[in-house]
Amino acid sequence: MSIFINALKNILHRMLQLLSFGQKTITNSLNIYIKTSGGNTLSVDLDPTWDIKNVKQFVAPKLGLEPEEVKIIFAGKELGDRIRIAECDLGQQSILHAVKIKVKPKLREIKGSLVEEIEEQCTKPLCNTLKDVMFSSDDHTAIGKTESSSSNESDKLRVHFFVFCPTCKALRSGKIRVRCNFCKSGAFTVHSDPQNWNDVLEPKQITGLCENNPQLCANVLDNREPTFAEFYFKCSEHTSLGEKDEAIPLYLIRPNLREIPCLACTDISDPVFVFPCAEGHVTCLDCFRQYCSTKLMERQFWQHPEYGYTLACPAGCPDSFIKEIHHFRLLSEAQYAQYQRFATEEFVLRSGGVLCPQPGCGMGILPDEECTRITCINGCGYVFCRQCLQGYHIGQCQNPENEVGANSDGCIYTVDPARAAEARWDEASKRAIKVLTKPCPKCRTPTERDGGCMHMVCTRAGCEFHWCWVCQTAWTRECMGSHWFG
Amino acid sequence: MAATRRLQKELGDIRNSGLKSFRDIQVDETNILTWQGLIVPDNPPYNKGAFKIEINFPAEYPFKPPKINFKTKIYHPNIDEKGQVCLPIISAENWKPATKTDQVIQALVALVNEPEPEHPLRADLAEEYLKDKKKFTKNAEEYTKKHSEKRPAD
Repeated sequence: MSIFINALKNILHRMLQLLSFGQKTITNSLNIYIKTSGGNTLSVDLDPTWDIKNVKQFVAPKLGLEPEEVKIIFAGKELGDRIRIAECDLGQQSILHAVKIKVKPKLREIKGSLVEEIEEQCTKPLCNTLKDVMFSSDDHTAIGKTESSSSNESDKLRVHFFVFCPTCKALRSGKIRVRCNFCKSGAFTVHSDPQNWNDVLEPKQITGLCENNPQLCANVLDNREPTFAEFYFKCSEHTSLGEKDEAIPLYLIRPNLREIPCLACTDISDPVFVFPCAEGHVTCLDCFRQYCSTKLMERQFWQHPEYGYTLACPAGCPDSFIKEIHHFRLLSEAQYAQYQRFATEEFVLRSGGVLCPQPGCGMGILPDEECTRITCINGCGYVFCRQCLQGYHIGQCQNPENEVGANSDGCIYTVDPARAAEARWDEASKRAIKVLTKPCPKCRTPTERDGGCMHMVCTRAGCEFHWCWVCQTAWTRECMGSHWFG
Repeated sequence: MAATRRLQKELGDIRNSGLKSFRDIQVDETNILTWQGLIVPDNPPYNKGAFKIEINFPAEYPFKPPKINFKTKIYHPNIDEKGQVCLPIISAENWKPATKTDQVIQALVALVNEPEPEHPLRADLAEEYLKDKKKFTKNAEEYTKKHSEKRPAD
């Protein structure tokens, strides 16, 4: 039986091989869009083994131009004639920009050597001139070593970017792209390569020339400042869905060039997560995920005024909060949903708002300061008292215990009060919280004391108030003197 | 997951280092999150015996600290009757994921050898330690002889 299946498999395999061989010329070609300065887009199939000169010869007639009159711009660089397409980090449906040169033919003919020199400068595509080491850290001690050790492996020289791709909904490797900061056209050449992440992430770091419509961009800016490059990223692992198909750079994820062990599990893995602290502490991606989920379960993320709901270096370094919160997309879908929920709740509470107390609702509401009668307008519609979070009432809030007695007045059935008390949904956990906990005197987070002394430190991220379990006020020297240990 | 891999390494390192003050480390093969071992202090009054401890690592280790419990009764201002010990290095506020278990054990051994009556868990013993050191030493010695484990021969 198994022999028969194997034979069948072999035949199938061969047939597939034949098929794929037959298709080779087609599958290997790249479907590329060529954008012209006139605003037209051509869809062309290019052979990756072609060089840029071939591309010009192929494209120019379609534009009604001579090949010498066209320059090809991609990712912030004019591509030199001798570059092969395969070197350019182009994917299916990538966009090249073809721009008409205002040729000075005479200069070209006379000073051929000069032109050659200029061409040398612009030959290499951006993906080949950027290197990992430039982006790995601020000190450049490793550059010499890396260059000499990997000079024969051109692949290693290329910079590796990691992105969160909204289409794949996952961590992917990414490609860097360049456009004009003002008109957003991709027909843009940079004056210099970015040297580090700051050049890439912060606006207006690198100047360049907008080749789409230099006059327009210059006019918009009234010639007061140069035109700047804007860097953005695309996912390398799916076919581009157009110019708006961008990915978010996860710049704290880097190739582990220096083979640094993870601070948590001590394994050396690649890539790694490098925390934004002075020490540059490193964890592997698994441990980063575990760090985040542990902190999430304990609700120990911080609401940072600028960055949002975030975490700092696990080694406790100062000023080490993660600025790009998309790094938390490394969590699972369910955990990320929880992260977003906690972040929203924390934001609402920090802003003086309330959360709807109805089970299963929890809508965040930002009422006026004096308002005590709150309606959950965009949620379940529940109307409740801001103070006691029970249904809205006129006059003083009552204790929930008294309320039960009052409500049972109109009840027709006779139910054993003891049984009724036991059969209440959620009541057991409510009672446990009431009996076992005391609220933090500052933020009112219910807190359980499970041993040790009377000196409490609030566990809520951002509160950390020192208080006394006995006095239920701030911890003082008197507490220490009279009832430190009860 | 990360906990298991890291603890396997740490356990190997500690066993190879041949610590004199912490030995007889026993770990159930099916559960590397619980370690038992013998603390062998050098300083009087505890150098007359040895003390069994249990270290419990949470599943979230090393992002959450381990917990230490004394299984042998000890007369010590920083260790209470239930065997709980107050060790700053593994408190939630101070814990760092890069802290290794051998550092924790060193800190524990140091605390056993040199009590810190300023941060006591047993206020009565701390008071005795500060006011009448002789009496404390005598009591602790008798307690050690009565309750502690036998010290290893070497």
